[in-house]
Amino acid sequence: MTSPIVDVTDLSHVYMQGTPLAHQALDRVSIQVERGECIAIIGHTGSGKSTLIQHLNGLMRPQSGKVIVNGLDVSDPKVDVRLLRRQVGLVFQNPEDQLFEKLVGDDIAYGPFKMGLPIAEVKERVEWAMELVGLSFDEMKDRPTFALSGGQKRKVALAGVLALRPHVLVLDEPTAGLDPRSRNELLQRIRRLNQEEGLTVIFVSHNMEEVARLAQRVYVMANGQIACEGTPRHIFGNSSLLQEHHIGTPEAVDILYQLLEQGYAVDTGSFLPEEAAAEILNLIKR
Amino acid sequence: MTADHPIIRVENVSFSYKVNQDQQIPVLQNVSLDVYPGEYLAIIGHNGSGKSTLSKHLNGILTPKTGDVYVNQINTRDRERIYEVRSQVGMVFQHPDNQIVATIVEDDVAFGLENIGIAAHEMRERIDASLEAVGMSAFRHRPPHHLSGGQKQRIAIAGILAMRPQCIVLDEATSMLDSYGRQDILAVIRKLHREGMTIVTVTHHMSEVAEADRVVVMEAGQIVLQGTPREVFAHQQRLRELHLDVPDASRIAALVHQEWEPFSPNLIVNEEVVEEVNRHVIKQAEASGT
Amino acid sequence: MSAEFELSRNITIGQYLPTDSVVHRLDPRFKLAAFVIMILAIAICGTYVGNLFALAICIAMFWVSKIPLHYGLSGVKPAIPFIIILATLQLLFYGEIARGGTVYFQYGFVTISSESVRLVLVSAMRFVEVIFLSSVLTLSTSTTELTHGMERLLGPLQKVKFPVHAFALIITIAIRFVPTFAMEMEKMMKAQASRGADFGTGEWWRIIRRTKDMLPIIIPLFNVALARAEDLILAMEARCYMPGASRTQYTHYKANGKDYAALIISIFISVIMLYIPW
Repeated sequence: MTSPIVDVTDLSHVYMQGTPLAHQALDRVSIQVERGECIAIIGHTGSGKSTLIQHLNGLMRPQSGKVIVNGLDVSDPKVDVRLLRRQVGLVFQNPEDQLFEKLVGDDIAYGPFKMGLPIAEVKERVEWAMELVGLSFDEMKDRPTFALSGGQKRKVALAGVLALRPHVLVLDEPTAGLDPRSRNELLQRIRRLNQEEGLTVIFVSHNMEEVARLAQRVYVMANGQIACEGTPRHIFGNSSLLQEHHIGTPEAVDILYQLLEQGYAVDTGSFLPEEAAAEILNLIKR
Repeated sequence: MTADHPIIRVENVSFSYKVNQDQQIPVLQNVSLDVYPGEYLAIIGHNGSGKSTLSKHLNGILTPKTGDVYVNQINTRDRERIYEVRSQVGMVFQHPDNQIVATIVEDDVAFGLENIGIAAHEMRERIDASLEAVGMSAFRHRPPHHLSGGQKQRIAIAGILAMRPQCIVLDEATSMLDSYGRQDILAVIRKLHREGMTIVTVTHHMSEVAEADRVVVMEAGQIVLQGTPREVFAHQQRLRELHLDVPDASRIAALVHQEWEPFSPNLIVNEEVVEEVNRHVIKQAEASGT
Repeated sequence: MSAEFELSRNITIGQYLPTDSVVHRLDPRFKLAAFVIMILAIAICGTYVGNLFALAICIAMFWVSKIPLHYGLSGVKPAIPFIIILATLQLLFYGEIARGGTVYFQYGFVTISSESVRLVLVSAMRFVEVIFLSSVLTLSTSTTELTHGMERLLGPLQKVKFPVHAFALIITIAIRFVPTFAMEMEKMMKAQASRGADFGTGEWWRIIRRTKDMLPIIIPLFNVALARAEDLILAMEARCYMPGASRTQYTHYKANGKDYAALIISIFISVIMLYIPW
């Protein structure tokens, strides 16, 4: 219970090593994620976020350093990669692109079938995964995938990964390109997976409102390193940190900073609109 | 400049996609809209509301089933004059990767110019100017696949600018970009608008909408709400029903207003919230001072 | 092992090595024309000495264009198995066709004579020559120049209604999307592998099984390609592209002395190759 479910120590990775185009994507990165946590990884494009998350399910192997996920050592060449990939469900950016079966149910069943599970269990898993993402099994399983909306396709893709029953869910930009309606719904689903199903969630995001609403802890990456780590309150409440790493702020935080600059005593770590409103009420309702 | 003369006039336009022989999905129903010179117009609505389809009517990519679209009084049905229509109303699309044609940046900017028959020496001038305008001059000899999403979108805008349009339509042009790329594009758009360019933007980002002169809200192929951002964002309840967000500034202002009546709920940008706080604090200081 | 899925970073198609040599600075129209002439000469020339001469010229070309020879050799390496298979087939089955000369060996239908040996060796040399020449061409010419050059060279065909511009545009776009699709494919392989797919682990003779394993990659890739193509068509139309309409051109090339010289030299070399009797 005490050891973290994801334990990355001094992980480094160089692309195209030994050529003039060599590029250090990861530089002694260490992260520890406890069971049941919800973690955000933020940083510029090219800061090493996607290279890092691809190490978590063994798509990439450590060149140096250690990656241990739920007791499995990713750097061990003899590690059971397929077992590892079932433990860590990795959802790529725009995962709706990866659907390939004609029918929704078949596509979600692909992973469980590949595991060699009996039909009854495959069906049970598909049903379970579909309900988790908010797709009715009876209504949707026989729908053709191509006719779905973008938001629905993304849910199908997410269900396809959940059907592997992973312990850790890793998502790359889960809501990029969705409209506000689908975005809000998906965020709620992810939150529920984390809080009710006890799934450990790690997600990469550029959207600070999303980070503020979802994450318990944030890792900020820059130039292949972990620049800093802390709760959203800590990260957004520290203006020098935000400026140094060019982290965007949630709008609520931006308003609070403007107030702080004008000499008001506000807690800039209050990143939710409700909290910011409370701060403002404090100022004017004296 | 006659303000009453729209650049784009959309008159009672309906449009539907054909699914098969006897099934059609209506996407636009009797939409009318005028876009005036120098205006900054935002079109919002959730996916499937018809906003993208509407934007594709603005330069004759799609032609209406019924009704008409005029660009500077040219009907977009007039295929003879479609060059004029499209060089006057340029369009930037959602996916940065899918609109670049050439293997070198400057060749891509030249693509539209080659199509409308501009002479080589004039092309050079125009390419210089438009790459300069989007801040990408240093990249002119680079292959586009090494550029970031935001940089690719800037190249796409340069390709449009080179054709010297009066209006640029952005069809969710920032939705695939990270926040830094989005800020870059918004800065470019802001600058172009200041210099007199007419902007039509289709977007999900409410903070972008707050910058526009006018907002059009679409639902089920119709315009359901229209006005300045302040007017539109005042309808928080209605927008929520339409599954649309409001800027956080609006939400915070409304929350404060709920608890403290005199605080104005109709604020749309962060600075306004700060000003409103100032106003109240000063008022209170005066009240307690006397 | 860690490079299992690294496709896009290892793609070298259209690799351009800007060393700014004389060859790099040649007018692409002339460079292409000279290349075609040389290739034709290589295809026709069937003599040992002629091909050795051509091989020497090819190697010299690397030196002239300041490109390290190992770039050419790395192009030859993957072709070696193919060359060996071809040589074996020629040796076994072409004896009857390439008759003449001294017969060294005969058994059943297999005849090995000095003529069939010559065929084998000359073919192998031709292969290497073509690879070397193409390497020099692509390493010294950007893809943009290549398509421009091709477009201009094919220009006269427009008179017989051949859609030269469209053809050149198709090639440009194809090249432009190679890195994009490499990245797309890499992402797709990784995404499906994350769902438990495995590729290339089965025995190679179980072709049907292995093809089936590839479907989760091929189908989405196809869909993505179609979607991209649709987007691209829209974007091109929005920028006033009309198939078949006349267009102006941004890039103009002006040939000078060195370009004509290059063309004459290539003709001269070809003539020598074809006139060498052995």
